[in-house]
Amino acid sequence: MIDINATLIAQILNFLILAGILRAFAYKPVVRMLKARQDRIQESLDKADADAEEADKLLAEYKAKLAEANVKAENIVLMAEKRASEEREAKRAEVKREIEQMRKAAKAEIEREREHAVQQLRAEMITLSMAAAGKIVAKNMDKSENEALITDFVKELDKDKIGDLPC
Amino acid sequence: MHEIGVREVVHFAGLTFNWETLCMTWLTMAIVILISWLATRNLKMIPTGWQNVVEILVSWLDTQVSSMMGKRGLFLAPFIMSLFMFLLTSNWLGLIPTLSSPTNDLNTTLGLALLVVVLVHVLGVHMKGGHYIAHFFKPTPVFVIINAIEEIAKPITLSFRLFGNILAGEILIIILLKLMPIWMPIPSVLWLAFSIFVGGVQAFIFTMLSMAYLANAVKEDEEES
Repeated sequence: MIDINATLIAQILNFLILAGILRAFAYKPVVRMLKARQDRIQESLDKADADAEEADKLLAEYKAKLAEANVKAENIVLMAEKRASEEREAKRAEVKREIEQMRKAAKAEIEREREHAVQQLRAEMITLSMAAAGKIVAKNMDKSENEALITDFVKELDKDKIGDLPC
Repeated sequence: MHEIGVREVVHFAGLTFNWETLCMTWLTMAIVILISWLATRNLKMIPTGWQNVVEILVSWLDTQVSSMMGKRGLFLAPFIMSLFMFLLTSNWLGLIPTLSSPTNDLNTTLGLALLVVVLVHVLGVHMKGGHYIAHFFKPTPVFVIINAIEEIAKPITLSFRLFGNILAGEILIIILLKLMPIWMPIPSVLWLAFSIFVGGVQAFIFTMLSMAYLANAVKEDEEES
């Protein structure tokens, strides 16, 4: 019943073969798969960390850029405002000058017109006076007396303002 | 029904083999390999269903082995796994009518026990050198006798425990069937159920003791408690 024979050796060999087969075809693939998955997860986590870091960096960069852009925009607006106000000032000054010029021109024109009118009136007055003098002369008056009368008359005219004359 | 204890033998190249034991061993090997193949084919990066169970078992085994033997013992994990699967299948195979367990033959159990013990000593000498041999002479050289008896007892207890349990279980199945009339199947059914339990427990004990012996040889010195 208990007989030890060559079966013992055969069983040892059988078991070693079995262990070898299981190791090669069952254990190794599972371990390899576990390792591969572990590596994959590690890789993914590393990548996620790196990505997060990258994202943080980008965010900071963009924030800095945005701040810079804001400053620039403010500068541009300020400059534009300044330029606009300068332009407005310049324009206003020019318009003022133009108005001034126009006013001056108008004044000169008025002056000239008046001078002209005075000239004209005076000539007319002289003519009228001559006519009046002729009539007086016709009444046989003394020639010298006549002259003096005219001169006085004209002088009287000069003294008064022409505009106030009731023509 | 063959006579209990009488084995069919074949002679090959001047050696004697127990033919039935060999056939049952090959059948066991085939079953174990088939199960492993079914369980581990088609492994995917994202595990589903059965693959989860296999991975849990393998990682549990790795944890057990590395906690018992340290990192250096991890290469023994497939050996331990094969041992357990082989013994479990062997023990249960004999519960199927007309089949018998390879482990009801002392040749099988003693062979495995000797394999384990030889492996222990070879690995011990290989990994620890003279220090491993020296530890048989501690604390005093006289203890070498006790240590030697212990080392010799290891394969004997390992093999006879398993052999006795399985053989007794199978004998009792036959005896119960012969003793009880056919309309009284309860005792043999109960015994069959118990044999399933015994088969599992014996496979577990053999494997665990093998692990403990191997751990003794493989574990690094600073890891010893």
